Amino acid sequence: MKDKTMGEDNTTHFGFQSVSETEKTRKVREVFHSVARRYDLMNDVMSAGMHRLWKRFTIEVSGVKPGDRVLDIAGGTGDLSRLFSRRIGADGQLVLTDINAAMLEIGRDRLLDEGLPTPAVQCDAEKLPFPENHFDCVCVAFGLRNMTHKEQALKEMQRVLKPGGRLLVLEFSQVWKPLAPLYDAYSFKLLPLMGKLLARDAESYQYLAESIRMHPDQETLRQMMLDAGLAKVDFYNLAAGVVALHKGWKA
Amino acid sequence: MFEPLITRLLNHLVDQNSWAREQLKPFAGKTVAFRIPPARISLTVLEDGGLAAAGEAAIVSAKVSLPPSVAMRLLAGDANAETLVSIEGDTELATTLSKVLRNMSWEYEEDLSKLVGDIPAHEIADFGRKTVSEVRKQSLNIAEMFTEYWQEEQPMIAKKRHIQQFMQEVERLRDDVERLEKRMDRLSTHLPSSASPENS
Repeated sequence: MKDKTMGEDNTTHFGFQSVSETEKTRKVREVFHSVARRYDLMNDVMSAGMHRLWKRFTIEVSGVKPGDRVLDIAGGTGDLSRLFSRRIGADGQLVLTDINAAMLEIGRDRLLDEGLPTPAVQCDAEKLPFPENHFDCVCVAFGLRNMTHKEQALKEMQRVLKPGGRLLVLEFSQVWKPLAPLYDAYSFKLLPLMGKLLARDAESYQYLAESIRMHPDQETLRQMMLDAGLAKVDFYNLAAGVVALHKGWKA
Repeated sequence: MFEPLITRLLNHLVDQNSWAREQLKPFAGKTVAFRIPPARISLTVLEDGGLAAAGEAAIVSAKVSLPPSVAMRLLAGDANAETLVSIEGDTELATTLSKVLRNMSWEYEEDLSKLVGDIPAHEIADFGRKTVSEVRKQSLNIAEMFTEYWQEEQPMIAKKRHIQQFMQEVERLRDDVERLEKRMDRLSTHLPSSASPENS
């Protein structure tokens, strides 16, 4: 199911619930504020450490080289920024952004602690405060599904890319059909339980599981990226489609 | 499913062969499909001159097809086999990528040194090189031994000079046949028309 477009109706989904757009923004903020401190630990537990491999693959496929300008959207705790920062070197420019102050603060501090001072900007991906044709690569990992107007966010990402620049979207996707029952059991039974035990927040992880199901599948997202103005879009299924990495090129 | 692993391995090789990046960079974003039946793999050139396994929706710019026997000959360094490779689409891209893949070498001693240290890595690699060289030498000796046996003791394989002699005889026979045919043609044209059955 897609988000309702702006102006048509003010309701959208929050997991399996239908809420107003302002309500969704507030609820997503609450979820990430609640999980921020234990976000990385939970990611490791939930994906058995595989999210690190997926992120490394994203960096590798980005083709980012020393001196490039990179924008990390919904960068949260700064996993990707850390890897990008090493690739672009001292001559490159990296900007870490997130709509959530709690997540961004953790990411910014972590990068500073590692000796990688990085500009951290709290902003909405649907209204990016950057000029057109500015970045060689824009990346959003596990963030797009939480955005209220995904089409608008993708258009913004396309806008700030230079011609020849790449947009990378790493996101949960549609799992290979034979594995779907197993994946459902994991998401709706085990995931909230782990959230309760490790992060003491079962509801937030229930939302994460539901939001994954509401997110567009591989082909739909590919089409959405093309509609946003990207000239060419390819995608990779990772872990049998549990996660997909989309790479789009701006002409 | 194996894209991350293939991509990691390819970029590790590209990192060890830095000359490859410069050659590949002009083709950034383009994809080549290689077909060596039954295997099939598509590779995309990255913007930094690296390589990645292509995704599910990649648009192929060039196709390279070669039978497994030709692939083996290419691996063995047979330059003549290159003419048997079929290329469709962007020929320059396919040729450059094929050339890069053929000329990239794996610095296994360097990789090994990260695991066990420089000196043991050198010793292990040296031992490996000597073993390969010895195996190759012994294989050639055994092959020569069998060849000699089958040529001299149990003649199952023809000797080179016998084949050449046979070829010369075949050529002589062919020339003789041609000459005979021409003589017969000449004779038949000179036969008097009185030889026809109507006048007998």
